[in-house]
Amino acid sequence: MKTIADILKEIRPEFDFTTSTDFKADGMLDSFDMVTLVATLDKTYGISISGADIVPENFQNLETIAALLRKNGVQP
Amino acid sequence: MTPFRTVAGVFAAIQTVKAGAAGFCTNFFPDGQKLQDWVERNELHGESCAGALFLFRRDHDFSRLYFCAASPAALRAGIATLAGLRNERIVVDLVGKESAPGEIFLALEAAGFRRYQQLCRMARPGQSALQAAGGAELPVTLAGHADVPAILALLEGAFDRYAEQLPLTAEIENAVASGQIFVVRLEGVLAGLLFFETQGVTSILRYWLVAEAFRARHVGAALMRHYLATQSTVRRFLLWVIASNDNAVQKYRRYGFVPDGLVDHVLASEPIYNENHR
Repeated sequence: MKTIADILKEIRPEFDFTTSTDFKADGMLDSFDMVTLVATLDKTYGISISGADIVPENFQNLETIAALLRKNGVQP
Repeated sequence: MTPFRTVAGVFAAIQTVKAGAAGFCTNFFPDGQKLQDWVERNELHGESCAGALFLFRRDHDFSRLYFCAASPAALRAGIATLAGLRNERIVVDLVGKESAPGEIFLALEAAGFRRYQQLCRMARPGQSALQAAGGAELPVTLAGHADVPAILALLEGAFDRYAEQLPLTAEIENAVASGQIFVVRLEGVLAGLLFFETQGVTSILRYWLVAEAFRARHVGAALMRHYLATQSTVRRFLLWVIASNDNAVQKYRRYGFVPDGLVDHVLASEPIYNENHR
């Protein structure tokens, strides 16, 4: 199973996401990337992330994305 | 329509659409600071109905329409309830992959919107080698406060305000204060400018323009080379360009930019469409 870092690397291969604690502030993830990320997470883990959870704070860093996956029953 | 007085109010209104919804579709992707500015300048108004929220932002002499809906069907049903939409001057941006935007586009078309323009996003890695030459001898400096009226006039004279998100005076003043506009002055006037926004490892090139009287003198090359050279920590450069503007697309390609597959379909209400397609 791909890790969150693997998935992010596929979306934006030019960045090292493991070094950032705030992807948006560091210019690594914009709103359009976030839409791609949600679709990829849904497909990879067989989940459906609720529209209410598609907010920047849930995609701030690897930890917050992991917490969002746990909320959806996935142990990343 | 209700004016939004706070950013929290905007998010609360969006949340009412998201709550309990199985899906969500939107064209509203605001940057935090921009949203704050819109609210402070009283530019943002909203109207909601079952399953959909519509946000109107005043921009020059027209409005930009953003939507948040539980589904394309909710968008279609909601937009049909907005009174007088067909007679207003309104622009809607739909950003997505190059394929047809599908149901959302059809919902907007049913409400009277028509294809007005298409922009494509181009990207460039941070460490690409520069091949284009020329302009190295021209002095490039940061714009000063006194340049703001000339910058505004240049931008408004060259770009399409409906399709290309032109900045207002306040936005240009902020960009000047933040060191985000490079200029070349020749013969005592502003010969060209490059307006950008760098955040972390990403930089967005917003406008790159040479005044007509100074074209073919390497002003554009000087600005671009200076910009790329000074953003040494940037890993990804992005820009939006009108897809049918072959001349501009070719120029960007020369500096290493290539389309990254993201497209902005700009739709306009009939008063704007008719004004520009007579």
